Amino acid sequence: MAAADTPSATLRHHDLCSRGIRLARKMRSDVTDLLDIYVERQGLDASISVAAVDGVPAAAAECWAEQTGTQRLLDNLAAYRAFRTLLAQMLEEQREQLGDADAELGPALAAVLLQVSAFAYHLEELLELESRGAPAEEGSEPPALPRLSLFEQKLRGLGVLRELAQWAVRSVRDLRQLAKHGPGSGTALGLPESQ
Amino acid sequence: MFSGWSWAVHCLYLFLNICFLEVSGGLVQSCGHIIPESPVLALGSNFTALCILNESCLDFGNIYASQIIWKMKNKVVPKEQYREINITVSSVTFNDTSSLASPLTCNVLADGQIEQNIYGISVTVGLPPEKPENLSCIVYQLSNLRYPMNCTWNPGRHTFLDTHFRLKYRWSRESFPDCIPKSVNNSCTISDVQFFVNLEVWVEAANALGKAESDRLVFDPIEIVKPLPPHNLSVNSGILPTVLKLSWENRISAAVMKLKFNIRYRISSDTNWMQVPPEDTASPRTSFSIQGLRPYTEYVFSIRCMKEDGVGFWSDWSEEKVGVTTEDKPSKGPTVWRTIDASPSPAFWIVRLMWKALEPFEANGVILQYEVTVRAKPPLSHPPWKYNVTATTLTLKLPNGTYEVTLIAHNRVGASPPSVLLIPSSNSKAPVKNIRTLPKDGKLWVGWTAPNNVLKYVIEWCLMSNSSDCITEWQIEPGNIQGTYLKGDIKPFKCYLITVYPLYADGQGSGQSVKAYLQQGRPSKGPTVQTKKVGKAEAVLTWNHLTVDEQNGFIRSYTILYKTVDGNETAVSVDPSKTEYTLSSLTSDTLYTVRMMAYTDEGGRSGPDFTFTTQKFGRGEIEAIVVPVCLAFLLIVLLGVLFCFNKRDLIKKHIWPNVPDPSKSNIAQWSPQVPAKHNFSSKDQMYPEGSFTDVSVVEIEADDKKSFSEQDLKPFDLLKKEKSTSEGHSSGIGGSSCMSSPRQSVSDSDEGETTQNTSSTVQYSTVVLNGYRDQTPVQVFSRSESTQPLLDSEERLEDHAGGSDGTTQRQHYFKQNCGQDETKTDKPFFERAKQIISANEEDLAGFAQLQISGQSSQPLGFELEENTQEAALSDVLQTSIEGQTVRPETMEGNVPSVDEMPKSYLPQTVRQGGYMPQ
Repeated sequence: MAAADTPSATLRHHDLCSRGIRLARKMRSDVTDLLDIYVERQGLDASISVAAVDGVPAAAAECWAEQTGTQRLLDNLAAYRAFRTLLAQMLEEQREQLGDADAELGPALAAVLLQVSAFAYHLEELLELESRGAPAEEGSEPPALPRLSLFEQKLRGLGVLRELAQWAVRSVRDLRQLAKHGPGSGTALGLPESQ
Repeated sequence: MFSGWSWAVHCLYLFLNICFLEVSGGLVQSCGHIIPESPVLALGSNFTALCILNESCLDFGNIYASQIIWKMKNKVVPKEQYREINITVSSVTFNDTSSLASPLTCNVLADGQIEQNIYGISVTVGLPPEKPENLSCIVYQLSNLRYPMNCTWNPGRHTFLDTHFRLKYRWSRESFPDCIPKSVNNSCTISDVQFFVNLEVWVEAANALGKAESDRLVFDPIEIVKPLPPHNLSVNSGILPTVLKLSWENRISAAVMKLKFNIRYRISSDTNWMQVPPEDTASPRTSFSIQGLRPYTEYVFSIRCMKEDGVGFWSDWSEEKVGVTTEDKPSKGPTVWRTIDASPSPAFWIVRLMWKALEPFEANGVILQYEVTVRAKPPLSHPPWKYNVTATTLTLKLPNGTYEVTLIAHNRVGASPPSVLLIPSSNSKAPVKNIRTLPKDGKLWVGWTAPNNVLKYVIEWCLMSNSSDCITEWQIEPGNIQGTYLKGDIKPFKCYLITVYPLYADGQGSGQSVKAYLQQGRPSKGPTVQTKKVGKAEAVLTWNHLTVDEQNGFIRSYTILYKTVDGNETAVSVDPSKTEYTLSSLTSDTLYTVRMMAYTDEGGRSGPDFTFTTQKFGRGEIEAIVVPVCLAFLLIVLLGVLFCFNKRDLIKKHIWPNVPDPSKSNIAQWSPQVPAKHNFSSKDQMYPEGSFTDVSVVEIEADDKKSFSEQDLKPFDLLKKEKSTSEGHSSGIGGSSCMSSPRQSVSDSDEGETTQNTSSTVQYSTVVLNGYRDQTPVQVFSRSESTQPLLDSEERLEDHAGGSDGTTQRQHYFKQNCGQDETKTDKPFFERAKQIISANEEDLAGFAQLQISGQSSQPLGFELEENTQEAALSDVLQTSIEGQTVRPETMEGNVPSVDEMPKSYLPQTVRQGGYMPQ
């Protein structure tokens, strides 16, 4: 905590929050674009409803406003680590399906994957600044996902991207909360952030 | 001899031994090796190599370390650098590897003489990599999602070795694959970077001699972005004619980067850009309204962007977009001027109004028409004339006087403010002074000394040319200046006539003119010189001035260059206003070549050569010779004449002896009534009586001139008293004689009638009518040698033998002499003579005279006209006296020469008839 109280830590915290917010916004924007590309390339209907996918963290949270800053960071970190794994798998599946012929979807997926990784890095930095430290990832190997049919893969991919878009919005709000209260605000933040 | 053979055998043995050793141990078995094996050495460091011999070589080849020789690329290394460590190891040391050259070989001298290579290594010398410097990165936006990052650095010195560079980057907790440059060693591009996460970037350089890393950069790639410029620009006309709205699309998401902008614009015809104040466009936006533009003007717009906070790089300028503002009414009236020409009617002017079309920024639209109003000023009184014209000139015929011209331009939106020009009846105001010109910055500046209270100036100019008319251009300048540049296409080497008029509120000053060149050059040709007059020592040269098109500048001087064929050229400078020059001190009768150069300030050019030859004699020289010669000749002639005059008697005696006038001779007194005074005794003796009863003979003693003159001519004294001059009759022979006088001849002719009447009784020729000694008498007419002047009628008789005039003359003649009937005058006078003879023999003497006269008239008449044509004379005689027996040749044969001529006048010999010459 001592480190979090120094002015440089405050600046660093503020800078990380600020850039995290912008990254989340960009990620939201890019994911939205990616969803369009994905629906088009996978031959899906944009209005199709996708049930909750296993392993995909839900952005919705109960008592969101009552969460502490650290809790928010931890939830975000867990979610983006999961998205990183999911997106990496989607990228692999997409390469298997379309090969390198698709010059748009693959790079877009890779770019979003990179953003997810970058945001996770931000969260880890913020947790470091919170003197909390980022929790270790669960093993070096990602958990084996159930083998799905091709259509199910497409639907799962659509669900991942939609949820990621939701998470991008939530992350912006979480980081705003964190930025408002500065580092070391491990307690519940109280008031909800208005959009 | 033996030692040499033994040495060769030994060498062969040694060689075979070495070969045997090498081959027996394997495919290749060396006698030694070098440590280190193919080292890479730092340039400038020291280096030691060891050559280690195999012990087997010691046994079979007697090779020891002491025999080792080190060589670098066939060059023996100095032995000072060797060191024999033991009997099988030799080392060589180099203090500076820069002197090393590959290969480095270890050799031995077998048996002390034959050099044999043991081993060799290749030495590579180079440098370790330097620390890369000046690492910098930039993120280029290629599309909405692609942001490659390019980093560049300074790789440092050349290492002479294979050096690898790697661009390394990572987040603090995550590393990425290195970026390895392709084909270059100073830059590398990372295909995609992630914004909002600090990236650590550095460069690593490595070669065989070491590794070096650049300083590490940590930055958020969003801070080094060079975005794509906005696109899809559009320009919309605003409500106001001075506003255009520019819209665009950004190609980077506001979520990624907030942008600020630069907007630049220019008039299409201009190359200079103007820029919207940056603070006006420092916030994110997709449109902007540009104000303060000119109406009805085409503008070009362009835009660029960068991160709002100014961190990063400006994008390139976007594509250009064109927009046009709407029209507005003209901002000012056209400048107007006039020229005034005299009209056939002196009470009127031909006024040509002319004005300049408004510049686009003044017209603010399309000018539809001009409204011209001309108002007469007192004392003239006339309602204003109004004209609507579309051209920029208007020619009017106005009564002489003062006028005010108002000009208004109209476009679709409205009218311009009026332009007013006062046209005074006379330019009575003060003119400008000291007008001058100066070429400056490729333009022609004209300046003047201004009078007071000038409202504005009008500067007129025109290009002077022989090939085209002087087309006047003009411009108006404000009254507070004293010089301006001519606004037009002023060409170099052309002469311009510039006139400045000051305009006052109540009048106008007269124009002051000056000629000027923007740039002068050499004349395009030289004057063509020719001679106007060439004398003995001088020549007058003339030439024409060069035309203004040929001058290319102000002609400052002419130079006349002249020379003889082999002489030096002489130059004479001549004032440029002259067109004639006299060369003096020339050599007479010499060919000269002359040419002429015309000079401007920039140089001269020569005209064609012209040659002329001076005269041999000067003016008056010929006259000075000829006149004295003529005078001398005349003097001689005069003296000759005087001499002749003084010696006329002597000359006369020798050339043409005095022929007594028969009328004054004694024969004139020869008549029955006149008793002979002369002594004819001798003749009486020669010719018996009765034989020459009808013949009278006159004998004049030439020698007895005195007696002749005094005695024989006495009877003529009476006649002389009646006639003015008797000599005139005798001078008929040879009309050119200086002794004769035409006046006298004329007067004699006038008096000839009287003479004839008188002389009709004077018989001076002998006519034999009767037969001689019973011979048939033949009419013989003998030519008289008399110089007695013939009557005019006699002369004309021959000339007009068949003509009416001649007839008249003859009639006159016979009337005078014969008194015959005029009806008989058509007959030849000879025939008539016969009739007369037969009719009146008493008048024989007179008849005889007539006959002689008739005969004599012909030759004498010719002699009067052509006194030298004796041959013609005889022909004429033959022709005109056809049928007669007169034979001129006979007469000629009997004509005595001057020397033989008796001193007295004698009748001519008659071939038949008994008349014999004396």
